[in-house]
Amino acid sequence: MTETDDGNAFGYAPEIWRLFRNAPNAGAFPDGTPGVVSAEAGTPAARSVLRLALRFDGARVIDGRFQAYGCPASIAVGAWIAGWASGRHVDELRLLKAAHLREALEIPEDRAHCALLGEDALRAVLSRHQEQRA
Amino acid sequence: MPIYLDHNATTPLDPRVLDAMLPYLTGPYGNASSVHRYGRAARDAIEAARVQVAELVGAEASEVTFTSGATESNNLALKGLTEGRVPTRVLYGATEHPAILEAAESLRPHGWGVETIAIDRAGIVDWPAFEAQLARGPVRVAALMLANNETGVIQDCARAARLVHDAGGLLHVDAVQAGGKLAFSFAATGADLMGLSAHKLYGPKGVGALIVKSHVELLTQLHGGGQERGLRGGTENLAAIVGFGAACELAAAEVGQRIDRWTVLRARLEAGLRALPGITIFGDGSPRLANTVQCGVAGWEGEALLMALDRKGIAVSSGSACASGTGEPSHVLIGMGCERDTAFSAIRISLGVATTETEIDRFLAVLADLRAQAVAA
Amino acid sequence: MIYLDYAATTPIDEAVFEAMLPYLKPDGLHGNPASTHGPGFKARAAVETARQQVAALIGAEASEIIWTSGATESNNLAIKGALEFRGFPKNGKPVHIVTSKTEHKCVLDTCRQLETLGARVSYLKPDGQGRVTAEAVLAAITPDTVLVSLMWVNNEIGTVNDIEQLAPRLRERGVMLHVDAAQAAGKLAIDLKTVAVDLLSVSAHKLYGPKGVGALYVRRKPRARLSPQMHGGGHEQGMRSGTLATHQVVGMGAACALAAARFDADVAHWRGLRDALWARLQTIPGVLRNGPTDGDRAAPHLLNLSFPGVEGESLRASLGGIAVSSGSACSSATAEPSYVLRALGRDDETANASLRFSFGRRTTAAEIEQVADTVIAQVAWLRELSPLPRNG
Repeated sequence: MTETDDGNAFGYAPEIWRLFRNAPNAGAFPDGTPGVVSAEAGTPAARSVLRLALRFDGARVIDGRFQAYGCPASIAVGAWIAGWASGRHVDELRLLKAAHLREALEIPEDRAHCALLGEDALRAVLSRHQEQRA
Repeated sequence: MPIYLDHNATTPLDPRVLDAMLPYLTGPYGNASSVHRYGRAARDAIEAARVQVAELVGAEASEVTFTSGATESNNLALKGLTEGRVPTRVLYGATEHPAILEAAESLRPHGWGVETIAIDRAGIVDWPAFEAQLARGPVRVAALMLANNETGVIQDCARAARLVHDAGGLLHVDAVQAGGKLAFSFAATGADLMGLSAHKLYGPKGVGALIVKSHVELLTQLHGGGQERGLRGGTENLAAIVGFGAACELAAAEVGQRIDRWTVLRARLEAGLRALPGITIFGDGSPRLANTVQCGVAGWEGEALLMALDRKGIAVSSGSACASGTGEPSHVLIGMGCERDTAFSAIRISLGVATTETEIDRFLAVLADLRAQAVAA
Repeated sequence: MIYLDYAATTPIDEAVFEAMLPYLKPDGLHGNPASTHGPGFKARAAVETARQQVAALIGAEASEIIWTSGATESNNLAIKGALEFRGFPKNGKPVHIVTSKTEHKCVLDTCRQLETLGARVSYLKPDGQGRVTAEAVLAAITPDTVLVSLMWVNNEIGTVNDIEQLAPRLRERGVMLHVDAAQAAGKLAIDLKTVAVDLLSVSAHKLYGPKGVGALYVRRKPRARLSPQMHGGGHEQGMRSGTLATHQVVGMGAACALAAARFDADVAHWRGLRDALWARLQTIPGVLRNGPTDGDRAAPHLLNLSFPGVEGESLRASLGGIAVSSGSACSSATAEPSYVLRALGRDDETANASLRFSFGRRTTAAEIEQVADTVIAQVAWLRELSPLPRNG
């Protein structure tokens, strides 16, 4: 093994690599947990599926979980959103765009669709949350 | 103690080039097309070498395609430019290397008009004849070497380029012998394509390059794998490419010193040669590579002389290594208008970076000796 | 790092390097093998010894070995050269080639190139194990067929084609047979004295030799005829011009001699590692083995598996210090799913989630165990992370 070998043999950006390997907030809430809204974006055929589950108290997220099938960037995006969303109000969440994800995680050009995947998943959750409150 | 005076046939590796290659012969062994870490290390090394080669000739790295050597580069140039096109004409200098000659001739059965460009007795393009030749019809490509491997004569490729471009054609310049022996630039020669070989400039055998101006459309001749941006398929020869890059970097830095040394050594050599009766030095009046002397020794058969010299531990050649042993006289000299007898008598001495005065003196002494014996016999 | 990508390329064996070194050092053995003087003769002698060594590995005569710059060039030369000698495309006669969908890119791209010139090419689909049977080939032969090009061992999945069965039957029909043996030399016993192959490609850097050199076997009895593709000084009996790189050629010879000497030990070692790795990884629910399952028809040195329910890039990334490949190195850069696996019937996602493990002389049983542990753990981890239904 070499000196700085953290296993990042393909040279992913540090934040992507960290989130991919540690996958904080991975999983799903136990069935019946109150306030959970979850939604999915992506398709297996496109090799990216992100399921995002956010636990709300009113209009504020108190916890987040994600499940992802896809490249390391997709997994990193899911982990990042699930963590970032925690503690934030829906108005803030609505502002999150793919461009922010790309910047925060240093997602390369050819993986830009992973950031879109994150944006789509979050939007789907917010949309479902809004329906539920209506 | 053997004396090697055949550097235009091949050169030994510079020890610094071997040092550069060793890690790639004994260490990380990635196939440059693999995506894992070993593969990327290989890719980085190749791109660094590409820059070194580009810098020697003043080209862009993106214009450099690695090949397995000069023969392949010349084949790729001529065939890549003519394949699939409506045939017109391909011209090549009468003193070109067999790789150019044979590659050009191979196009004849495909309908291409293949013509030689007349070279005069001084080894230089017969300009009026060339201009008239260009005017006779469309030309796809003309091939003219920057420096001749046998006589060392240096062509005015920039002048040829202007004429060829005016006629709507492209110019391919075989710079194999010029690399590391002459300071030149891809742009200044006006060439659209240029061939280089590593083992002529203290780099390893088995690798060369074709420099291609970005506007030129070339069809790959080696299919599969898509390496070298689709121009040349096949796993890259990592160690050799690294060696080639290193050799080019040294050549760029040292060419001035080399020329200075050779100028002095060759003056000594030629002074000694001219003292021998019946000597002709081919291309004498023309600009020549500082390290090359091809001479004819009246009354001798060049091949026999070179064998006699070999028995005395001195390695020279009679003409291109690629053509030796064919029994034919040098087509370069015939192309220059030499008589067959004179051409048959030719030997070529080509100096290297390590050639010494002592070696020159010994060569001259042995040569004088052999002549004396021949006359006595 | 644990390197399990030997099918992509191998390191130069120490003994091979020692054999090459004298021809790289500045003192004395640097001559051009075509020069007619002492240094040239010495280089020439080394070249001819190496030629013998390559010939010996495959049961050929030295005069049947042509040096090239590698298997890609050998394959190009064999196919283009054979067709050009027959007068294609100039003489306007219809020409048909039979090959398989699973050949290496250099064969496929060469065939596609010839199609643009008017050749007709049949790309045979392999069976579920990746095999192209002699029967399948013979069924595809037409009166216009001039050449069959079929690899002996598939580089991605290790399927061994039955060349011994096929060759005599093509000879009977007067059809030339070219075999890409890049993954076969040193891994299978090849004896061209008893197998009627006309043209055979070998690559040095697949058997612990240097990159940049390969060989093309060109049969003499009966004579296989080729038009050269590289023109110049007439080297290699006029079939392949160009200064021979002595050190590379010597390296290839030494590598072949070594492969011949170590053959039984190497094959047994690789087969053991392959079987040990499969024994562990077959415990992964839903894992698919690509290619033949065992016996003589499976190359000893590689194992190709698909892991449904796991995305390929994440799988490879998660292996950290383990170098494997997902399909042929030559096509990894394009990130397309392997065409070989697709030809087997795997869908894109499954093909994408595949790994090729290939073993070397230095690979140890301990490394295999470590790799197995890692793969099992990472597949489980990624499936755990995934929202898709469990693949079992």
